[in-house]
Amino acid sequence: MPNEVLRRSAPFLKIEGLSKRYRDDLPPVFENINFRIDRGEFVCIIGHSGCGKSTILNVVAGLEEATSGVAVIDNKEITGPGLDRGVVFQNHSLLPWLTVEQNIAFAVRSRHPDWSRQKVAEHGARFLEMVGLKGASRKKPSELSGGMKQRVGIARAFAIEPQMLLMDEPFGALDALTRGVIQDELLKICAATRQTVFMITHDVDEAILLADKIMLMSNGPHARLAEIVVNTLPRERNRETIHHDPQFYRIRNHLVDFLVRRSKLIQAAGPATGEEAPVIATPGVESGAGGDAGPRAGRVKIVARGAGSPC
Amino acid sequence: MTKSLRLRGAVLSLAILAVFLLTWQIATTPAKTTAPSGADREYAELMGNSATGAALANGVPTPAQFASLAWKQLSDPFYDRGPNDKGIGVQLAYSLGRVALGYAIAALIAIPLGFFIGMSPLLYAALDPYIQLLKPISPLAWMPIALYTIKDSATSAIFVIFICSVWPMLINTAFGVAGVRKDWLNVARTLEVGPLRKAFLVILPAAAPTIITGMRISMGIAWLVIVAAEMLIGGTGIGYFVWNQWNNLSLGNVIFAVLMIGVIGMLLDSLFANLQKKVTYAE
Amino acid sequence: MSENFYSPYSQRSTLGGCGCGKHESLAAHDAAAERERLSRGLDAETLSRDFVEAAAVRALFPNDVTRRRFLTAVGASTAMAAIASVLPLQQMQAMAEEKGPLEKTDVKIGFIPINCATPLIMADPMGFYKQQGLSPTLKKTAGWALVRDQMLNGELDASHFLAPMPLAISMGLGSAAQPMRVATIQNINGQAITLALKHKGNRDPRNWKGFKFAIPFEYSMHNFLLRYYLAEHGIDPDRDVQLRVTPPAEMIANLRAGNIDGFFGPEPFNQRAVYDGIAFIHVLSKDIWDGHPCCAFGVSEAFVAQNPNTFAALYRAILNAAAAANDPANLPAIAAAISTPNYLNQPEIVIRQALTGRYADGLGNVQNVPDRAGFDPMPWYSMATWMLTQMRRWGYVKDDVNFDALAEQIFLMTDARKHMAALGQKEAVAEPASGYKSFSVMGRPFDPAQPKAYLDGFAIKRS
Repeated sequence: MPNEVLRRSAPFLKIEGLSKRYRDDLPPVFENINFRIDRGEFVCIIGHSGCGKSTILNVVAGLEEATSGVAVIDNKEITGPGLDRGVVFQNHSLLPWLTVEQNIAFAVRSRHPDWSRQKVAEHGARFLEMVGLKGASRKKPSELSGGMKQRVGIARAFAIEPQMLLMDEPFGALDALTRGVIQDELLKICAATRQTVFMITHDVDEAILLADKIMLMSNGPHARLAEIVVNTLPRERNRETIHHDPQFYRIRNHLVDFLVRRSKLIQAAGPATGEEAPVIATPGVESGAGGDAGPRAGRVKIVARGAGSPC
Repeated sequence: MTKSLRLRGAVLSLAILAVFLLTWQIATTPAKTTAPSGADREYAELMGNSATGAALANGVPTPAQFASLAWKQLSDPFYDRGPNDKGIGVQLAYSLGRVALGYAIAALIAIPLGFFIGMSPLLYAALDPYIQLLKPISPLAWMPIALYTIKDSATSAIFVIFICSVWPMLINTAFGVAGVRKDWLNVARTLEVGPLRKAFLVILPAAAPTIITGMRISMGIAWLVIVAAEMLIGGTGIGYFVWNQWNNLSLGNVIFAVLMIGVIGMLLDSLFANLQKKVTYAE
Repeated sequence: MSENFYSPYSQRSTLGGCGCGKHESLAAHDAAAERERLSRGLDAETLSRDFVEAAAVRALFPNDVTRRRFLTAVGASTAMAAIASVLPLQQMQAMAEEKGPLEKTDVKIGFIPINCATPLIMADPMGFYKQQGLSPTLKKTAGWALVRDQMLNGELDASHFLAPMPLAISMGLGSAAQPMRVATIQNINGQAITLALKHKGNRDPRNWKGFKFAIPFEYSMHNFLLRYYLAEHGIDPDRDVQLRVTPPAEMIANLRAGNIDGFFGPEPFNQRAVYDGIAFIHVLSKDIWDGHPCCAFGVSEAFVAQNPNTFAALYRAILNAAAAANDPANLPAIAAAISTPNYLNQPEIVIRQALTGRYADGLGNVQNVPDRAGFDPMPWYSMATWMLTQMRRWGYVKDDVNFDALAEQIFLMTDARKHMAALGQKEAVAEPASGYKSFSVMGRPFDPAQPKAYLDGFAIKRS
C-alpha cells in the first residue's frame, strides 16, 4: 500500500538518540531513546517514576530540552511548543479565573486569532459538548469535580485541533469510576477523530484499553526504552467486555511482569551501550510482529531498528 | 443560629460602647467648685473658669461636648475661611488628593516594574539589594531630602506618599508574577500565546490577588503616612488639622480628627478588600 | 502716633472703632487725621524728602552747634544750595521713595502661630498689604525648622523668624548657608519663663540643678535668654540642667506630664499653661532684658535683589502694622483678630492677657504689666551683635567672627529707617544714629563696641 510505504519512510513523530541529564555530576535520567509514532496511532508509555517519561513528553511538547538527541515532528525538528501539539496536563492546568468556556475560548482564540467572538464560542461549545460538559460552560474550574476539570482540559486540547495530542497521566488523580467514564469518552473521540496520541500512564489496564502500542521504560537513572508492546486486541474495545478476552490477560501479565521484574533487571545490567534496540513484543501472539495479527496488523506497524540507523 | 449570633454580637457591641461612654463621662466630669467672689473674680475670669465653673480636666471633653463639637464640624465640613482655616471635609479632600496622586504614581511605576522583575530572574537579582535596602526606610525620613531637592513641601508630601507606597506594590507584584504557576505559563506556551497576551491574560490575572494585596498594604501605609507628613509640612490636609488643633491643645478636635482618619482608612481598606474579592480565584 | 498718617485706618480693617482711641468712630478719626495733615501741608512724600535731607545735613554736621553756627553764618538758602551742590540730594530722595512697579504681588509669607507674628499677621486683616498692592498668602507653618527649610528652598518669599535664625542661616549653622536679611524686628519682650506649679515654692534659680527646660529652637532668643538667666544665677545651662527643643504645644503637654520642669516659651503658650492650670509665670522676659528682640521679619538676600519694589512694599506694610500693634489701644481688637482659627487658633482671653499685660500669673494674682509685649520694629545692629556674642559664648559659633560686619550685613537698619521715614514714622530717627544702641541685660551693661570684653566677662561659657 503506497500509504504504508509513505508512513514507513516518513513517520509523523521521530525520536532519535534522546537523553537527558539534569546535572553533569549525575548519571542521565534516560539515554538513547529511539521511537516513532505514525499518524493516527495511540501510543502509551509506561515506566516507574523517575524513568523520565514526563521529560520525554515535555521534549515532544517543546516545553523542555533534551541533553542530546532530536525529536522531529512532521519533518520539522521540535524547538519549542506549538499549536500543532495539544497538551493535556496531569493536573488539568485550567486557568482558574476563567470560566470553562472562557478557558476553551482562550485556546481557540490562540489558534484562530482572526475568528469572531461568536465563531470562537461556537467552536468551543462543540468540544465542550463532545466531553459532555455543555451545561457547565459558565462555571469556574473550582466549581467542577476533578473529572470534569480533566474533561475540560481534554476539550481544550482537542479544540485547537492539534496534529498530535500529548497527555501526561491525564487520569492519574481521578477515582476509578470517573476515570473509566472519561476513558470511554476518550476512546470514542479518538475513534471518531483518528487523533494521534502520545500518552503517559501508570495504569496497565488503561494502556491496554486505549493504546495501539505500549512503550515500556526501564528504571532510571540510565533508563531506556526496553520494549514496545503491540496491543493485539481488536481496535474496537469496550471497557466492560475487554477483560473477557483471554488475550487481555496475556498482555496484562506481560506488562506487569515487566514492571515488577524486568525493568529492574535491565537497570541492573548496566548503562546502555548505544546498540540496544527495544524488543518488539506481541504477547500471546507467538509468531511476533507481522504474524496473524488480523485486521489490526495493517494499523499497528512496529518499526524496530538499532539506534542511530538511518530512516 | 447565625442570626442570633449576629444579634447578640450587636448587643454586646452596644454594651461595650455604653460602658466606654459612661467611663468617659465619669472621667471627664469636672469637679464642682464654688463660684469665686470679689477680688478673685477677675483672676478666675482670666483663668477661663468663670463660665464652666471649673477648667476641663486635662482638656479632655465630655462625651456631650465631643458630640456637639463633632456635629459642628460635620454640619459645615467644607467652609473656607482663609488659607489656614478650612473645614474638615476640605482637609480630608486635600489629604485624599495627595494620597491619590502619590499612590497613583507609585502604582504606575511599581506594577510594571514589578512585572519585569518578577519575570526576569536577572533583573530580580540585580534590583533585589536596592529594594531590600530602600524598603525599610521610614517614609518620613525622606522628608528632609525631599524638601531640599524638590523645594516644594506639597510635592514633597506627595513624594513621601509615593516612596512609602511603592515598595509593597513592587515587591508583591514581583512576587506574584514570579509565583505564577508554571503550568499556566506552559498552557500559554503550548498555545503559542504572544508576550502581551500572556502578560495581560495569564500573568496579570494569576498574580492579581497578590498585586492587589500589595496595593492594599500600600494604601494602608499611605494613609498612615499622609497624616504624619502633613503634620510636618503644614498648610492643608487632615494631618495639618490635627497639628493645628494640637497646637491649640484642643483635644476634642484632635480626637474628632483621629476618628475621621480611622473612618476614611476603614473605607479605603474595604474598597481594596472588595477589589481583592473580585480578583481572587479559587483553584 | 498722630505723626503717622499711614496708621491702620483702612476701610477693610477688622478692628472696628478708632485706632488711636481718641475718636468715636473710624470716620471721625479719619476726618481728624485729614484735617491735621492738611494744616501741616505734609504728606508722606514730603516727610520722606524732609527726612532724607535732614539725615544728610545731620551727617554733614554731626555736631548740632556747628550746624547752627554754619546756618547763621551763610543763611539757610545759601546753606541749602551749598549742600545740594555737594550731595545728590534729589537722587537720594528719589531712592528713598522707591515706588516702582511690584515685581510680584502674590508673596507667600510664613508664620508660626504665636503672638510674635502679630505685625505680619495684622497687616493682612488691617489691609496694609493690600494698600501696598500686595496680595499675600499667609502660611501657617508647623515649626521653625520648616520655616528655615521653606525659606531655603524658596517656597516662602518672606517669613516670620526667630531673630537669631537669619544670622544662623546666613552663617550656615544647622543648615546650608544662604544669606538672609532681617527687615524688621517683629516684637520685643513678650516671652516668659514658665514653671510647673509644683515649683511654686522654688523660685530661686540657684536650686534648679537637674531641671529640664523646653525651648522652641536652638537659634532663638528664648534659648539665649534662658541660658543667660540661668548662668547669671550660677547654673550652667549645658551641665546643670537639660534644655530640650520642643514645639510649644508639646511644652504644655510635657509640663502636664511632668517630663519637664518649665519652659522659656513664646506667647500665648506661657499664658496658656497658666490658663490650663498647670503652671505659673516665673519671670517675664522683659525683666531679663527690657526691650529685647524676639522674632524678626526676614527675606533672603536673593529675594531683595530680585524683587526690590515688592520688598519695599512688604517693608511698608509690616512697619505700618507694627506701628498699629504698638498702640496699646489696638491690642484687645488685635487679640480678637489673631486668636481666630486662621491665625493662632487659641482662646482669645489667653492672647489678650499676653498682649495687654493684664494677666493671671498662675499664683492667684492678677498682674498689670502694660509693657509685657511690644512691637518696636527697629532692627538695631547691637541686637544682632548681642545674639552673636551669645552664639559664640555657647559654642554655636566656633571661630571668632566679625560681629559688626555680620550685623550690618544681615540687619537692614538703614532700610528700616528709610522706610519708616517714608511712612512719616518718628522712630526713623531714633538714636543712636550708628545703630549700636547700648542696653543692659539683667543689670550687666552691653557695650556693642566691646563685644569681646563683654564675652570675657562671663564666668560660665563654652569658649
